[in-house]
Amino acid sequence: NPIVLDLAYNSIEFPSLENRM
Amino acid sequence: AIEDLFTSLNRHIQKSEFDLAVKVSDQVLSISPGDEDAVRCKLVALIKNDSIEEALSTIEQCSKKSSIDFSFFKAYCLYRQNKLDEALESLKGKEGDSATMLLEAQVLFRLGKMDACVDIYEKLQKSRIDSLEINFVAGLVSAGKASE
Ligand SMILES: [K+]
Repeated sequence: NPIVLDLAYNSIEFPSLENRM
Repeated sequence: AIEDLFTSLNRHIQKSEFDLAVKVSDQVLSISPGDEDAVRCKLVALIKNDSIEEALSTIEQCSKKSSIDFSFFKAYCLYRQNKLDEALESLKGKEGDSATMLLEAQVLFRLGKMDACVDIYEKLQKSRIDSLEINFVAGLVSAGKASE
């Protein structure tokens, strides 16, 4: 079977907390 | 103060200390219920920690008292649990940002719907996503279009 990467996982990012600190 | 908690949360995120990031997110939420940044941090930390079941129960709890659109997170968790039809259902009607499209393509791949899967990777090609071609080729090979 061809390799499939979990690119959706890679696209999940934490929000920027810049203005909260 | 809440600013100190976010400073600490940010530090844990930078160091990939996802357990601690969940803990501090919960501390923020205890003094500021429904805080959108804290909810998002908690969910992302749970997912990055492979705590998919807990992420789903967090979504369940928070969606009652929040206006945040959790459909992508929910769909991703369902995909991880191989609940593919439910995952697609959760993505239905969602705006086609690249994260959503990547997830939809992966769900379609697992469902064996290769033409629809390849269509999405074709659309994503101009978005310059790292390693996209790996999944694109996998879809083409599985669709029997390897010569393309
Ligand atoms: K997959």
